[in-house]
Amino acid sequence: MSTAIPRQVRRRNLTPYLWVLPALLFYIVFKLLPMIVGLYLTLIQWDGIEPPKFVGLQNFQRILTDEVIPLALLNNVKYAVGTVIGKMILALFLALILNQALRGRSIYRTTLFMPVVMSFVVVGILWSWLYNGQFGLLNNLLHKLKLDFLILDWLGDTKVALWSLVVVDIWKWYGFHMVIFLAGLQTISQELYEAARIDGAARWQQFTKITLPLLQPVMLVNVTLSLMGAFNVFDIPYVMTEGGPANSTLVMALHIYISGFKFYKFGYAAALSYVLLTLVTVMAAVQMRFMSRESLS
Amino acid sequence: MGPLRLEARKKMNKTTLVSPPSLARAGKKSLVVAKRSARLDQWLVWLASHLILIFFTIVVVYPVIWMFLASFKSNGEVVSNVWGLPTTLHWENYTSAWQTAQLGYALLNSVIVSVGTVIVVTALAAAAAFAFAKLRFRYATFLFLIFIFTMQAPVPVIPLYVMLVKLGLTNSRLGLILPMVAGGLPLAIFIFRAFFQSLPSELLDAAKVDGCTDFVAFLRIVLPISGPAIATVTILQFVGAWNEYFLALILVRSPEMRTIPLAIQVFFYAWGRTEWQQVFAALSVASLPMIILYMIMQRQFIQGLTAGSVKG
Repeated sequence: MSTAIPRQVRRRNLTPYLWVLPALLFYIVFKLLPMIVGLYLTLIQWDGIEPPKFVGLQNFQRILTDEVIPLALLNNVKYAVGTVIGKMILALFLALILNQALRGRSIYRTTLFMPVVMSFVVVGILWSWLYNGQFGLLNNLLHKLKLDFLILDWLGDTKVALWSLVVVDIWKWYGFHMVIFLAGLQTISQELYEAARIDGAARWQQFTKITLPLLQPVMLVNVTLSLMGAFNVFDIPYVMTEGGPANSTLVMALHIYISGFKFYKFGYAAALSYVLLTLVTVMAAVQMRFMSRESLS
Repeated sequence: MGPLRLEARKKMNKTTLVSPPSLARAGKKSLVVAKRSARLDQWLVWLASHLILIFFTIVVVYPVIWMFLASFKSNGEVVSNVWGLPTTLHWENYTSAWQTAQLGYALLNSVIVSVGTVIVVTALAAAAAFAFAKLRFRYATFLFLIFIFTMQAPVPVIPLYVMLVKLGLTNSRLGLILPMVAGGLPLAIFIFRAFFQSLPSELLDAAKVDGCTDFVAFLRIVLPISGPAIATVTILQFVGAWNEYFLALILVRSPEMRTIPLAIQVFFYAWGRTEWQQVFAALSVASLPMIILYMIMQRQFIQGLTAGSVKG
């Protein structure tokens, strides 16, 4: 096939690969290789010191009987439901407000986006103090507002702790999703709204019949991003509660970390991380399918 | 409160929207009323919008300001004088936090790691994206899709850790940079590719006629006008690398190798129950550089950090 092509041309055609090669090599060695070769780790029992022992699929079998996993997964699901719904409603609501001709729009936008540039560690520590049962700002404020019945041990109560973390996650990210919604809103033509107004559509109708349907692609981006964030979450629960009290904020990523780096069960932790990876990938794929169908129609 | 307000606005809208047809019949008097109610409606929306935005602005900003103020208070004052300003400025909070948490090392490490990551990602991604956008070769689409399809999947941490142990890269800055570069490449390539594709191909054709090789054209013509794309990638990678915590947590052993997030967390675990004012000082040192950078270049930051999600 290639014999017909003059030699010079063929050689020239190879140079584009040189442009891509450095990036590709980096990517293969430090991302794809650990992903693929790491599969071997799931088949061994290894504490990092003793020679590894081949155990076949035992690690995966153990996942099925690990009592912590349903708990951790449920926590991830709750965390996802809380953060996704909270972020979407708040971000969309504020984006709609900011989409009007308001004075100081860009100041509001800039301020609400600010937590995005802060590290989760800083945010987590700061909020552990706001939540502090005795001296925290939140309980102090509730006391001042004479709302003492709302005073809770925000991070110490097993029923509340996970939702307290959800609030922190929303606080850090809603400005981000708001900006993305805002970008989406600005692509919707004003003429549509004018036409609807002439037809006598109320604001609420304009919102449900025009804004929401046209915002669907942007909505999917936002939901996908926050959903994947919720299933990979580690920093916030690790810094703020270490999974406690009584495992009530233990999420999958934390369970993997503890299995690997506290109990040195590397094989088991590796198996777990593939389970989580598969789960997140499947979710992303479903979402992507959704998205491409949306944009085709 | 939100739904109620919406409900109220809806009702108000209906009245204003219904009124115009009846105007003709009712004459001048109700025209004035309708105008007035429309203006009132507008004014209420304006007021509600600002009140809501101000409320959320306070929710975002106040904790940060409070952290900064508390970093100057004495230990007792943090508890006794919760809402007020510090009575005297306790600068020693900063000096002791700086020493105990070894923030000097941490800042240095964070700067090296973040800048290193940014430079390597930008160089590699720009080159690869240039080939994907402007050069023709057989497996271009396939290779590009390798990056894009695996972009979202996070590396399983244990295999990565074991590999870096085998390579002797734990407890080193390079060991932090390399995985972060790999993680950052796909989105950077994606952004650069979109930008290069938007450049007119006449630009390169002209360069070729003048006898430039692709490489020279890339360096002399393409890169100098790629400022926006470079800024986007730089901000995205810099913020990501500066705030990266998990990698540092599993890879770093010695205190001199800690990055800012790790140093802060270790300090918090050790002193968070007693020396609050120092913890707040450490938090301020950790977050203020980034916040100031953000305030100076807010437009680029917002654009950069949402790039990829808006277009992709």
